[in-house]
Amino acid sequence: MKQSQSQSQAVASVFASYPLSKNLFDEVFEPTGAVKSCYKNVMSFFQKFSLEDIKKLNEFTKLLFFNQGVTFAVYSDNLKGVERIFPFDLFPRIIPNDEWEGLEKGILQRNRAINMFLHDLYHGKKILKDGIVPAELIFSSNYYLKEMMDFNPPGNIYTHISGTDLIKHKDGEYYILEDNLRCPSGVSYVLSNREAMKRAFPKLFLNYKISPVHDYPEQLLSILKSVAPEGIDNPTVVILTPGIYNSAYYEHSFLAQSIGIQLVEGRDLYVDRNFVYMKTLQGPQRVDVIYRRVDDEFIDPLCFRKDSVLGIPGIMACYREGNVTIINAPGTGVADDKAVYTYIPAIIKYYLSEEPILKNVHTYRCEVDEDYKFVTENISNLVVKPVDESGGYGVLIGDRATETQKENYLEKIKSNRRKYIAQPIMSLSVHSTFIEEASDFEPRHIDLRSFCLMGKNKEFVLKGGLSRVALKKGSLIVNSSQGGGSKDTWVLEE
Amino acid sequence: MLSRIANNLFWMGRYLERALHTARYVNVHYFSTLDAPLLSRKEFVLDSISSMTGLAYEYEDKGEDLDDEELVYRITMDENNPVSIKTAIFCARENARGARDTISSELWESVNKFYHSVNAYNHTNLNHEQVLGYTDMVVDQCLIVQGYISHTLLHNDIWSLVQLGMSIEAAGQLTRILIAKAKDILRVENQNLGKPVETYQCITLLKSAEAFDMSRIFYKNVPNLTDTLEFLILNKDFPRSLIYNLEAVSTCLNKIKMIKGNEKGSPEFFAGKMNATFSYLTVEDIEEDILPFLEKTLDDVYKLGELIIRRLS
Repeated sequence: MKQSQSQSQAVASVFASYPLSKNLFDEVFEPTGAVKSCYKNVMSFFQKFSLEDIKKLNEFTKLLFFNQGVTFAVYSDNLKGVERIFPFDLFPRIIPNDEWEGLEKGILQRNRAINMFLHDLYHGKKILKDGIVPAELIFSSNYYLKEMMDFNPPGNIYTHISGTDLIKHKDGEYYILEDNLRCPSGVSYVLSNREAMKRAFPKLFLNYKISPVHDYPEQLLSILKSVAPEGIDNPTVVILTPGIYNSAYYEHSFLAQSIGIQLVEGRDLYVDRNFVYMKTLQGPQRVDVIYRRVDDEFIDPLCFRKDSVLGIPGIMACYREGNVTIINAPGTGVADDKAVYTYIPAIIKYYLSEEPILKNVHTYRCEVDEDYKFVTENISNLVVKPVDESGGYGVLIGDRATETQKENYLEKIKSNRRKYIAQPIMSLSVHSTFIEEASDFEPRHIDLRSFCLMGKNKEFVLKGGLSRVALKKGSLIVNSSQGGGSKDTWVLEE
Repeated sequence: MLSRIANNLFWMGRYLERALHTARYVNVHYFSTLDAPLLSRKEFVLDSISSMTGLAYEYEDKGEDLDDEELVYRITMDENNPVSIKTAIFCARENARGARDTISSELWESVNKFYHSVNAYNHTNLNHEQVLGYTDMVVDQCLIVQGYISHTLLHNDIWSLVQLGMSIEAAGQLTRILIAKAKDILRVENQNLGKPVETYQCITLLKSAEAFDMSRIFYKNVPNLTDTLEFLILNKDFPRSLIYNLEAVSTCLNKIKMIKGNEKGSPEFFAGKMNATFSYLTVEDIEEDILPFLEKTLDDVYKLGELIIRRLS
């Protein structure tokens, strides 16, 4: 009896000092402090552990990731980059089934419309002619490629792999934060997180029916094969990586290994008479489908950046001949421009004649005079970001910036208004997260990156996705390069 | 098999083997200084280490005179020294990383762990115990990695390329060890120090190749120079002998599916020629002129290495 009593005291202590956040949406706790129903099992499971146990498990999973080399590189002065493990949080994020169904429908709807939009932009440009999206917006984008004009990619798919970022606002609703249409990364962490979670808490899985994530590699392969050039029965599919010093190299090698296809670098490939080959010990081998993790501008020095050593000279010509499929199609970046983002609801209505299922965050485009005026007057209440950068770089959060920072930023906007957009400061929902320095669970802001695959007559959304968590107290920036971590994300099956 | 990956696998094997031989040589020699017989003084042993590893060229050029601690640091931990153990492990891991989708996760994890254990020693100098601990750890980890190489890879091109790298490096390293020791022994002979010193040198030589116990079992005698040379160069059953590794090089070259050449100047031809020569060699032939023979052998091993690298690229 005594023992169980002391245990139940330990129980209370795990979450005893957990601060409930006013004005924020907590994923785990109701405003009253009660645990939400889908988290009840996890909570009672965690309460069997002491903080000491949790600390030990935390170290155990860290070591697991470290030894497996589940790391990413942070760009710095050091050419090789510094290797870090991607922090993994032990407390899973849970999405109830009904909530997920809505998300999945919305993600598919959005990506279908985006594909039709891209096809239109590179063909008749009807949407521009109809005045739904301003033509200057498209023609001024660096990602709009003349090389893609009037070209039909196999199956008319442009964005085979896309990552839609979502947040939950304090009203409890999901909002789309941005679309990532240029080979988004992060999916390897989804699979590694699930493995780590299973190793750390095998018993926890008995209490839930959780949608699996391990079918992602095979789904990806079937999508990649579905868009192979005409007449190729058993296509040779490869993943193209910039190399071992790229920040996402772990993911590239992980995907190649789990799909069972070759990981190649630009220097392994060459073009001969409009076909692409890889250099092997037995001589040249033809390549049919390239899932490239190299940006558009580096992919073909004959078309784009001449100084690129990561790409393959002449590959765009092979692509246009239909002799090789490049995934995602070049030129998709024009649609994930953060200024184009504001038009996506209109784009969905235009092509699908449907109401958008998922909400956009209201966005002010600095190039519009009215919006620009609003931004200059209300910068303290806005998040301002450059339209064409990723990784959380160059973002200004109005209520946290100093006066000088804001002034400098306004100067930058003034010099290039097309480059900046602003949004109201969304309060990302918070989730209990084990914080090492505090040795305790504390609320931290999270978002969700979903992964959507589209092929010829195939669509797939990975159930769950990557819940990224801003580990710095109060921080809203969840990117791994800026001190973010991640959580295993469970979609419940019932 | 992509040519780039083939190179990664080959070099991973070479760097691992290089780390293994260097670690064992330092371990055996550094500790033999503690109870070395008359005149096998410390400096003498340290000279031997620096010439075997090639460090001698590095610092003699700069006119530096290294003390023993500095020398051991340079050879074990110095990441700026291209022949240090640390550099070798770093390079082995980078090559494994480049071929990560081709090797097993178990092998990758063992190489990655190895790299992190080497990094965990970040002292600027090592005391006696740490030199022992560090080199022991390196030898152990190398053998663990080799275990994953033999047991978790398909024994086709993938394994053959790693093995090719390990065998050619082993042949080269053993020849370097033999040259360094032959020089030691000749120096001793000139000083007329007699039998015990020769025996001592033979024992450190055998131990440097983990061959002491097996040679005792094979010859049932206290080691002498003739037996030691015969065992390390010509014993076909001992996996660290020169002839064993040269044969392995030939076998691997023939096993790897690649565009082959049997003409003069191809690696297959050259390896076959070396093997044929060694098959009809006696220890008496070798003893006639030890140093020139070993130096010629080292040149040939390097030449073979060059031919293989050219073939893989």
